[in-house]
Amino acid sequence: MTMTTSSLPSRFAWLDKGFWQTTPGPFRVGAIILIAHVLFAIAGAFWTPYGFAEMGAGLPLSGASLQHPMGLDQIGRDVFSRFMYGAHIVLLLSFAGTVLGMVAGTTLGLLSGYIGGWFDEITQRIVEAMISIPFLALALVMIIAAGPALAGEPVLIVFVVALVYAPRIARIARAAAMEIATREYVAVAELRGEGTWSIVFREILLNAANVLLVEFSLRLSYAPILIGALGFLGFGIRPPTPEWGLMISENRNLLIASPVTVFGPGLGLASLVIGFNLFTDGLSRMLGQRSVAGA
Amino acid sequence: MSVARLLFSRILFSALTLLLVSILIFLILEALPGDVATRILGRDATAKALEVLRSQLHLNQPALVRYFQWIGDFLRGDLGVSIATGRPIADVLAPRILNTLLLSLLAFAIYLVLALVPAIIQAVNRGKAVDNVISVITLLLLSLPDFLLATMLLFLFAVAVPILPALATISETSTWQETLRAMVLPAVTLAIMMAVYAIRVLRDSLIEVLRSDYVRLAELKGLRPRAVLFRHALPNAIVPALNVTALNLGFLIGGVVIVERVFSYPGFGTLLIDALQLRDIPLIKATVMISAAVYVAANLVADVLAVLLQPRLRTSR
Amino acid sequence: MKKLIEVRNLNIAYAGPSGWTNVVQDVSFEIARGEAFGLVGESGCGKSTVAYRLLGYGTINSFVQTGEVLFDGVDLLKLGPASLTRLRGNRIALVPQNPTTSLSPGMRVGPQIREMIATHKALPDDTTMERRIVELFALVGLPDVGHRYPHELSGGQQQRVTIAMAVACNPDLLVLDEPTTGLDVTTQRQIIQLLSDLRARIGMAMLYVTHDLALLAQIANRVGVMYAGQLVEVAASDKLLSAPAHPYSRGLIASIPTMDGTDRQTRGLRGVLRRDQMSTGCKFEPRCDFATTACRTTPQALELIADARSVACMRWRDAATQQLPAVVAGPHGRTAARSERLLSVADLSLSYQRPSIVDKFLGRTTHSVVRDIDLELRAGEVVALVGESGSGKSTIARAISGRLPPRSGAITLEDGPLSPALDGRSAEHLRQIQYIFQNPDASLNPRSSIRSILERPLKHFGIPADGKTLETVLESVGLHAGYLDRIPDQLSGGERQRIAIARALLVNPKLLICDEILSALDVSVQARIVELLRSLKEKHDVAMLFISHDLAVVQQLADRVAVLYHGELMQMSETASLLTAPLHPYTEMLLEAAPSLRKDGHVSRPPATPTLKATPGIGCPFAGRCPRQPGSLCADTRPPIQETGSGFVRCHLPIDGLGRHARSPQHMRSPAVEDMRLQSL
Repeated sequence: MTMTTSSLPSRFAWLDKGFWQTTPGPFRVGAIILIAHVLFAIAGAFWTPYGFAEMGAGLPLSGASLQHPMGLDQIGRDVFSRFMYGAHIVLLLSFAGTVLGMVAGTTLGLLSGYIGGWFDEITQRIVEAMISIPFLALALVMIIAAGPALAGEPVLIVFVVALVYAPRIARIARAAAMEIATREYVAVAELRGEGTWSIVFREILLNAANVLLVEFSLRLSYAPILIGALGFLGFGIRPPTPEWGLMISENRNLLIASPVTVFGPGLGLASLVIGFNLFTDGLSRMLGQRSVAGA
Repeated sequence: MSVARLLFSRILFSALTLLLVSILIFLILEALPGDVATRILGRDATAKALEVLRSQLHLNQPALVRYFQWIGDFLRGDLGVSIATGRPIADVLAPRILNTLLLSLLAFAIYLVLALVPAIIQAVNRGKAVDNVISVITLLLLSLPDFLLATMLLFLFAVAVPILPALATISETSTWQETLRAMVLPAVTLAIMMAVYAIRVLRDSLIEVLRSDYVRLAELKGLRPRAVLFRHALPNAIVPALNVTALNLGFLIGGVVIVERVFSYPGFGTLLIDALQLRDIPLIKATVMISAAVYVAANLVADVLAVLLQPRLRTSR
Repeated sequence: MKKLIEVRNLNIAYAGPSGWTNVVQDVSFEIARGEAFGLVGESGCGKSTVAYRLLGYGTINSFVQTGEVLFDGVDLLKLGPASLTRLRGNRIALVPQNPTTSLSPGMRVGPQIREMIATHKALPDDTTMERRIVELFALVGLPDVGHRYPHELSGGQQQRVTIAMAVACNPDLLVLDEPTTGLDVTTQRQIIQLLSDLRARIGMAMLYVTHDLALLAQIANRVGVMYAGQLVEVAASDKLLSAPAHPYSRGLIASIPTMDGTDRQTRGLRGVLRRDQMSTGCKFEPRCDFATTACRTTPQALELIADARSVACMRWRDAATQQLPAVVAGPHGRTAARSERLLSVADLSLSYQRPSIVDKFLGRTTHSVVRDIDLELRAGEVVALVGESGSGKSTIARAISGRLPPRSGAITLEDGPLSPALDGRSAEHLRQIQYIFQNPDASLNPRSSIRSILERPLKHFGIPADGKTLETVLESVGLHAGYLDRIPDQLSGGERQRIAIARALLVNPKLLICDEILSALDVSVQARIVELLRSLKEKHDVAMLFISHDLAVVQQLADRVAVLYHGELMQMSETASLLTAPLHPYTEMLLEAAPSLRKDGHVSRPPATPTLKATPGIGCPFAGRCPRQPGSLCADTRPPIQETGSGFVRCHLPIDGLGRHARSPQHMRSPAVEDMRLQSL
């Protein structure tokens, strides 16, 4: 045992310069794809080759070309410009919805897992009931219930994503909290007379962080699909805003005439989700967690 | 705890969950602040139309009364009358449920094969090239939105290589061959969507079990690899996958909505979308309740199967 | 003697994140037919890695660099999977470390044995499969439990099942990987007894891997001592224990607490095995008292120093000639024992289930885990609470700490009553009682630095502290200020336990509850923590409730001992008189079961009336297992409390009849004792 100052605690290890080299391959590839998507989305918010709603940018249904990499739709709008403009919308909606669901789900789950008793019993039953409604049905019903005034508004989509996610995240957080609550360092804090909030945030939250981080990343990767599905079914963002799911749905009539108008945006969406999934996979490996996807 | 008692308590909990589901659905659809009729018909609706709708939905009665009326009728088997068509909901639902059930059964059979085989191959060859290749494929498939996968399959097998029908429209007059051909693409889509989740879970849990002390002892007892895998490892590894399968059924119900829509299959999912578009509240309530009931029942079955597979669970709790 | 298996120059490396690490280096030994060879060493020394290679088995990330394992002249390391499958279980069988995780959880135990016999076609001609399995169960002292699932059996029974399975095909060699770790002392002894007996009857050879030298003294003919992947000494077990030649063997033996009243801690091992601080020469050099500069650079190899005895140390002559010090244990601080009362527990009954409304309505009473406990601690006194697992030791500690409100009874601290529930206790009370947990891995928040772990209680209780406070407390537990900025993951188990002790001491408690705080640590580390606790007790004048299953540790530390069995106190006594005159039959049994460093030929005495069943709360809980019980009286009537000089005994037998037990002539082999529990299942 030497007297030299030891290295910083390992939780700061990721700040080291060599961090990138130690990350798993999927994490790196995923991160690169995500960074590319973010840059693309930022660019798209300010500049697109053609206006996203500009009709007659070229000959309708003329297929892919250098000027129109994703072709043109039925009314002559440049699909690539629409795709590019839609990028920041998809990213922002996914992120906002997931964060909101995460905050609500984590707070509820950690508290109910740690406190236990009747509080846990009641929350669990409600969480269970919400999960029992297939998520797409729940999302659609909530959109209908919000009424025509809110339909198609981004804020509604954000709330719907959060409400679909919150109970599922709460279940994960609760399981983590229950497991951590049996650890002896929690008992030590209890024996000291620490209060509930202090224990939940000081002792439990940090130790559940790995689980929650992976869960966040996992939910984030599914959010574009969920939002896309809503758009695809015609319950998402109001047209003509080019949300990707909506675009795929609109262009499906052109599947035979100009498939690129469907698969261009489709593969773009898939690449975003692939980026998220690779990132999650690598992250869970780094944090020693298992990422289990589930509906 | 005996299996019978366990079953009883699980059924009780499932019933409680469904009761809560009914309250939730009712709250979301009918008890949110604001006028329900206006929300359904929009602001431009005429006063007369609003009044008709209000009386149809008994909106002039207090919410509590309406809830008990609805749930009481529901439990007695009276699902109410569809606003859009004026037909009894039970009559509208029955053939659609049957169609979706057929589709789901086919999808489920394909799913079992698609989930089990790759996962076992991966776990046995963990760390090798096969494992990595399958991992990459599942990750890619996992990243495909279901509506995109359905559209891609449709494009490939109905447009590019037209060997299967693009539209899965079936009717009472269809022969069973026609029905089966029509169901292949939607069923395969659903099976793939479910399997990619299960493969990952089953692979991980199988690898964990293969590392366990009891599998090591089974190996060191001199048992043949096949006996170790199928007698000691698989029965214990399948439990987490069972839970995912139950979750998957929830996914299947959601997926059905999309897949049926893509292939225009006249099932439960298209009915739900129609009901939502027409804002046919009684029909929406009934379909959502039924889908939740299917999900809860699937979880119940998975729980009981897990207990049967793991004798340990019978004594705990 | 004919060699059965021979290990030659075995070198094994593990693939880690930072490349290959050598875990086994140049290990060579042989086992003769019918011989029992022990392999001993602290955790991480490579003993299990070697043992599993004797079955031709290695984990995926381990790699045999050189060497061979010759079994009947065939090199197991070169054998193909099919031939290995034929040998495993059939001619070389394994008894695993943890039977609970080693039996297939979803399969009844009978079929698990059957598949083994069937695979190797090892059913004797004159019997049926069913009969053979029952016969095997009988061989290991079990009734026919074939239709049970593993989780329906106790740990001891599960281990008997794995032993029955291992001998099912009459193997030539049995590899035992710490087979009794995690079992109670008495069960441990029964298993050892069973194994010796089986060896005598079946004539198989054994490789017995353990960290417990005292156990090897009972069962092994020869012992190999491993350190950091190398064999450092091989000798006949009696020779090794009486006159160890290697400094590491000496240290290891000296670390073992024994029951003979001597105190060897002064010559225990210092430091811990650090693979990152290895010299190019002797691996043990950094921790060795005999080391010279030459040791650091000269690699040591096993050398024959006498008949069947080899040592890997160039200074073995100096080490061997120095006598093992035998200092008589001083009655540390026992003079202070007659001070004022600190804690008293009266009529305590505890239960984990709260009676539900239905139970109350039906007048049902739920079962208490712990009943009628009366206990007193004086200021500065160490009282040990001893018992087997499940006896309720930790439950009592939970109640005193406030984590489990008692069903009935009162707890008093100094003169005031202590609130039964945690949230009713004042900060002052919470401060005065500090709890140290068994598992140091879990008792420190892995996400906090040592500094914030130690600062938190100071802040919480508003105790003024300056920059020196933390340093001082770290020094008092044998650490230094350099630890403050580390996180628990960077500490060894012993160091973490020291931090936990420091955290408790920081707030100046009057009572420390030490809940099995040594059981997760290696022997050499244990010895040093005991020493630390002893010095703390003198320096800080803090009382301790020391919970342990290990009487040998207890005798080094405790002023008084309370013996617990199935939730009831059997005896309370001063430590010295308890050890010299155990009085209660259960205490006697515990003392006898603790292995000494010599072969003691102990056989557990069978219960006098095995058919008797103890009903909790009615008779004596020990009835049915007691070798001396007078009869059904024990099961029907609560035994009276009889005062003794230094405490009490709870037994029907009169005091003058107790403690003078002459060993009965009919020492029966059948252990069958814990099967009582089975029959009541």
